[in-house]
Formats: sequence, structure tokens, C-alpha cells
Amino acid sequence: MMGKEKADKGDDIMRRIMIQRDLCMGCLNCGLACMAEHNEKGKSIYDLDLEDLKNESRNHIGLDKERRPVPIFCRHCDEPECVYTCMSGAMTKDNETGKVAYDENKCASCFMCVMACSYGVLKPDDVGKKVVVKCDMCMDREMPRCVENCPTGCLYIEGGNQA
Amino acid sequence: MKYLILGASAAGISCGKTLRELDPNGEITVVSADNRIYSRCMLHHMMGGEKSVEELNFAGDDFFSRYNISWIKETRVQKLKVGEKTVQLENGNILSYDKLLIATGAHAFIPPISNLREGKGVYPLRNLEDALAITERVKKVKDVLVLGAGLVGIDAVMGLIKHGLHVTVVEVGDRILPMQLDKLAASNYEKLLKMKGVTFYTGIGLQEVELDEENWVKAVKLQEGRRINCEMIIAATGIRPNIDFIEKDTIKMDRGILINDRCMTNVKDVYGAGDVCSTSPIWPIAVKQGTVAAYNMTGTEKRLEDSFGLKNSLNFLELQTVSLGLTEAPDDSFTVMLQHYKNNYKKVICKDGVIYGAILQGDISYCGVLTYLIKNKINISHIDKDIFDIEYSDFFKMKENGEYEYTV
Repeated sequence: MMGKEKADKGDDIMRRIMIQRDLCMGCLNCGLACMAEHNEKGKSIYDLDLEDLKNESRNHIGLDKERRPVPIFCRHCDEPECVYTCMSGAMTKDNETGKVAYDENKCASCFMCVMACSYGVLKPDDVGKKVVVKCDMCMDREMPRCVENCPTGCLYIEGGNQA
Repeated sequence: MKYLILGASAAGISCGKTLRELDPNGEITVVSADNRIYSRCMLHHMMGGEKSVEELNFAGDDFFSRYNISWIKETRVQKLKVGEKTVQLENGNILSYDKLLIATGAHAFIPPISNLREGKGVYPLRNLEDALAITERVKKVKDVLVLGAGLVGIDAVMGLIKHGLHVTVVEVGDRILPMQLDKLAASNYEKLLKMKGVTFYTGIGLQEVELDEENWVKAVKLQEGRRINCEMIIAATGIRPNIDFIEKDTIKMDRGILINDRCMTNVKDVYGAGDVCSTSPIWPIAVKQGTVAAYNMTGTEKRLEDSFGLKNSLNFLELQTVSLGLTEAPDDSFTVMLQHYKNNYKKVICKDGVIYGAILQGDISYCGVLTYLIKNKINISHIDKDIFDIEYSDFFKMKENGEYEYTV
């Protein structure tokens, strides 16, 4: 069980995808990597059909008022609004790993989480409008695929066992 | 430390979980009228057959054992004695506490319309028992009347149309979902629901209910005199807090229990959270209040930073809508910006660089940024962008631990 002490300590060492914003050149390799990793037809980039709307990236690159690219990636927040607002139990915070996990089978598609995410990371899926498009840190993969495919070093991992 | 929690829904459960995380050794007891943990917001999914009763559990089947919490279920609270710090249950048992959370929620209010309270076949939609009773009854009827077209009323409609019933909706407001939507956004749902055979009477109230010899509902009369046959009525006409076990002049009330930003009542060691309070009765606020209460009950000062209750997301018949803050401009000192394309409708209400309200219908992607800007009244006049294009990129800042925050 997670006592308070452990939860606090967990905050410091939690594994996160870090962003060196100035290094982002908006190449969208991260988005392609994410789509490929979560493609049900296979994980190779050659399996990825970009005309198939089912393939959606769980992160995105925004453009600020100066038209500079900004990576918008799920932070798996310490105090996750999406979890507080979830009335089905689909969105949960794992205090051990720090991950905010989403279980689409539990989801009731109310999209309160989309409304609640202060950083505009979440959206309903384009095709079915049934599930939430949400980063899973590539589950058990050693390195999230977006980080692995970032050519500039803008994305990198900190915390957890990888620190 | 002996913690007692009254209620096992959003607020009670989040409090229990947080208490255990903060105090591994405390003795935690939950008392609830409910005999299951279930999400009230999902009852219509059970009525419609998309979710089983078991799937309504939002906390996990093993919640009480996982968090080592004692649970006294299907038991109502009779009397709270704040002087003695005890709670008397309806079975006569008396529980004492060091710290108490009142999270008893609310019950459906049925208005005093002639025969509405007396008739058989009139159901609220608040508890699991209500949803189960409705699901049983719909097998025997064809025409159902839903009184009230707020969120609960429209949820009920969604559950009912799956059973192939003819559903009529009566709403006093001039449109459905009057609290959440403006006329245009509401009309888009009305259109979709009409295509499913739903009939609407808006801007009109119910005069009386007609009963048959055995007191079953057989028709209603509207205020303008129209008579509508129905064998069943769902009364979705608001809620009232469950406070009858609280003695007069002990805990301060204003419709519901009054709490401060640490979720404390005026009585020492008594806390409140969720729909029993006078705050906005929405899920996320109940969860946050339960959490904040737990911190303060264990002696760690924590304040509720977010009590913004004017927010709702709707998803009916594959049309999504998010409603935030004001839905109409109060006067012409406000600017209203509209965007309309394909099946999308977006509306933002501003004044002096601050957004006070928004409706997004259709595409709601990434709209949480608007929620943040509205609830925190962030001035956006320095951002030289179309208001519909403003996004988190315009406020980007990463904390040392990798979390985002806002630069404004």
C-alpha cells in the first residue's frame, strides 16, 4: 500500500517524458512513432496506413502564437484532473509507477476527462467517438516510442529506473 | 484514529481511499444506504443494456478489502450526535468517531403536482434501485413520460429509447438541457432525439397526473390542457440533500451542508463532501472534496482550490458537447464569438479579455484548456490569435518534475 511518505517520494522520482521545448522543430516523428506503436495491424512503420483515421497519435504538436511548435504530451500528473473527474473508474493513477492508466473497457464515453485536462492533451477518438486518445507510456516497452524517435533530443526520459 | 464516513459514492469513496493512503493504521468505517458501489452517472447505461450492474462499480470490486476499510452497507443513519461524537444507525447500533465525513449525497425531489407523488408507476432516477425498477417496469409499458429535461432527464430518455418505448419529454424551460445549452445546441439534440421517436413539450409544466382504479399512472394533463397517455413517469425534477439525520442548530446549512475550503463544517471534527453540501453537485467536485477532507481529517492542511461547478460534458446519440460557464451573454458588454461548420458549433463569451463561457458541440478535442481559462479567469487579450485557436502552447511551461503549468 502507498503510505504518504512513499507517495511523496514517488513524486520526485516518477518516470516522465521530458520536453526541451526549444529543440522541437515540429517534424512529427513522435506522432508517427506513437501511431505505429498503437496500430492494431502491426507496429512497423511500414504497417502504418496514414489514410486510416483509426491511427491517431496520442500526443500532438501545438503551435503557439509565434507559430513555434510545442509538444503537448500527457504528463501523467501527480494530481490528475482526468482521474478526479472520471465517473466510471476507467482513468486511474498508479501511485507506484506514477502512470495514469486508461481502461477503454470501463469507459462510459462521457468525455469529462477531455473537458478536465487543463493542458488540452485529451480528445475523443475520431472514428468511433467512443474512447479517449491517451498516452500509455507504451505500456511495458522499455523506452516510449516517441522518445526513441525524436531526432533532436527534445524528448527524453527522466526519473524511475531509467534515471 | 477512528474515521467514520457516511456514504459510499464519489465523495465517500475518494475520502476512504485517500485516508488509507495518508494513515496506514487508522480505523476506517464506511456506512452506506447503498449495498453496492456504483456510479450514478452511469445508471442510464445499465438501463439501456450497455453496462451490467457490476460494471457500474467505479472503485474496483475489492475496494474495501484493498484499502482495509470496514463497510456497513444497506444501513441508513438515524441520528448524528455531534456532542457525543456518535452516529446512531437505523438498526440501533451506535458508532463513535474521532473524525466524521458526511457524504450522504442527495435524494430525488418529486414536486407536489397532483397525483405525482401518490401514483404508482412514477420513478425518480437517482439510485440503482430506481434504475432497476424502471428496467423491470418498461417491459410492461409502451408510453413513458419524462418530466424534466435536465441531464438526468435526458439520461433517462437515452436509457428508455433502447427499449423501443414511445417517450414524451415535458420541460418547463424553453428548451431541453436549459442549464447546459443555448437554444441552438439544445435544438441539435432535440432533432436527433425526435428522429428516435421522442416527443417534446418545452416551455410548459405538468398540471396533474391521472390514475386508474388501482392507482397506476394512465395519463397526464399539461398546463395548457393537453392530455398525454402514459403508463409510466420518470420524474427528473431535481435533488435535495440527505440531511434528515442531522439535528437542528448543530451543523450549519444553506440548502445543503456548509463547508469551508478545507471541507470542514462549523462543528469540530465533522467534515462534508459531495452532493450533501451546498456546493455544485457534480462528480469531480465530490471527488476533490472527499480527497481534501481526508487530508484535513488526518491533520494535513489542504484547501480545495477548484470549486468551479458550471461545467458539463454531454454525449448523446454520438453528438458530443461541452458546456462551460455562461451559455448566454448576460448583456451587450460581453462579446459572443461563434463558429459553425459541418456538424460543429462553437461559441465563446468574452468580456475585457476574459472568457466567461463556452459551448463546444461536435469537436471537443483538447477543450480542457478552455475549462482552465474560464475557471481561472485568465486574461487572454495579449494572445494575438483567433480565440478558437488558443491552446496550451500559448501558455507552455514545464516544471522541474516534468509537469506542465501555465505562464500567464
